[in-house]
Amino acid sequence: MQPFQFQSPTKLFFGEYTAASAYESLKELGSSNPLIVTDANLVKAGILEPILEAFPKNGSGSPVIFDDVPMDSDLHSVQNAVNLARAKKCDGILACGGGSVLDTAKAVNICLTYGGNLLDYQGLNNLPTKLLPLVAIPTTAGTGSEVSLVAMIKDSDEGKKLLFGSRFLAPDLAILDPQMTVSLPARLTAATGLDALTHAIESYVALAVSPISDALCLEAMRLLFKSLERATTDGGDIEARSDCLVASTMAGLAFTNSGVGIVHALAHATGARYGTHHGATNAVFLPFGMEFNLEAAAERFATAARYLRISTNTDDQKAAKDLIEAVRNLILKVNLPLSLKDLGVPEFKNGDLEELAMLASTDAAIMFNPKESTQEDIVAIYTRAY
Amino acid sequence: MPVFSSSEELLHVMKTLWEAIKADPTMSSQLIDSRLVGQFQFREPDGIITIDCSDGQNFKIIVGPTDIKPVIEMSMKSDIAHEFWLGRISIPVALLTGKIVSKGPTPKALALLPIIRPAYSMYPKILEAARKNVLVNS
Repeated sequence: MQPFQFQSPTKLFFGEYTAASAYESLKELGSSNPLIVTDANLVKAGILEPILEAFPKNGSGSPVIFDDVPMDSDLHSVQNAVNLARAKKCDGILACGGGSVLDTAKAVNICLTYGGNLLDYQGLNNLPTKLLPLVAIPTTAGTGSEVSLVAMIKDSDEGKKLLFGSRFLAPDLAILDPQMTVSLPARLTAATGLDALTHAIESYVALAVSPISDALCLEAMRLLFKSLERATTDGGDIEARSDCLVASTMAGLAFTNSGVGIVHALAHATGARYGTHHGATNAVFLPFGMEFNLEAAAERFATAARYLRISTNTDDQKAAKDLIEAVRNLILKVNLPLSLKDLGVPEFKNGDLEELAMLASTDAAIMFNPKESTQEDIVAIYTRAY
Repeated sequence: MPVFSSSEELLHVMKTLWEAIKADPTMSSQLIDSRLVGQFQFREPDGIITIDCSDGQNFKIIVGPTDIKPVIEMSMKSDIAHEFWLGRISIPVALLTGKIVSKGPTPKALALLPIIRPAYSMYPKILEAARKNVLVNS
């Protein structure tokens, strides 16, 4: 067995209606006046009510809420949240929302803890000490941000994404309450679920795999194959929602330790160029990325196919192809597009493919892919995926 | 026991390696085009090397502390640098596992890794030559 390292600083708490315990948990962590970072739609829909009801009503003011988080967390939003938290003397953070909200909360926590400029902390392993208490409640089941050690923040002025990564960035506690995901629309349920499946499949074959991440990936795949279609067609199916939520967190734990791969690199490039949804874009590229990796990862894909009872074939190549076919079928069943064209990407013009290939080949995610790729390989995948 | 016996040996090897990269037209032209200013901060033994391609024309190698502000800083044990140049350690994995600390736009630096890959084969010869040199001079 190769030497490996696996870490997860985040405590997990799963259960229906457990979100209501967030304030109590924050108090235990040493925060009595947390900033709530969330999404305006969640506030409007009343989804935060059970959480807010637990806050003290002692006349010292209502909970401090920042709900102006854009679809892609950005520097301006982070700064506005920091200003609010400082003005209200917040001493911790409660993040409730999707990946963008959770990443924003992580970045806010850096500024609130250390002061100074967020850009000074860009990089990996570049945070000096523990941050203020952070509790995360995901309302989507896909990004894994509730347990990941990274945050991506968009610098809208410069048109680039900034990467922050440190064990101190991980939330202290992730509360996995499936009730918090039931109002997620079908298409977003499907897209975020495919994001989670992509994490699980890519992490299972990535460069930094370990037996620990393997176990998490395989079980995350099993739960998603079992329940994603049901969660998509019946949002109120709590068992299916629970499976997807736990699977997403398991896949998040895996990829934060073992990395992702070419599918994420292609999706990041496409998203940056055309503004497509990350999960849905991952869904398009996942079968193509798996086909590209067959040469390097057939044995692992085959192991997964047998574990998932998708294939009984003893030939690794054939069993691996059965897994890819099963992924395609799942994407079809949850009504997500299988091609870039159906995703809404306009027809490529002169230079588009080269620009996309350049973006994808320099994306950090591709560094963990089990098979090296050339620009020509990437162009070929884009062409096939269109 | 660390691979490098002293800061002098470490810096001599790293400087010679980067001079070899600079002398290679393919590697140097791509690094110059990147306009990146990267600083490598080593410990056990300690040493700093800064590569400055900021003007898009020159490839400057600065040994020791400098006032030049790097775009990206990478700090690591000298042994990790040695393992990297031998091709035995993956930088992304070393970053993921905390063996390397990066400050600045990490993906931009990672994107340059394939460019300097030909230097892996140069490193053992440079290390061997440096050690012989030390033996001859001692």
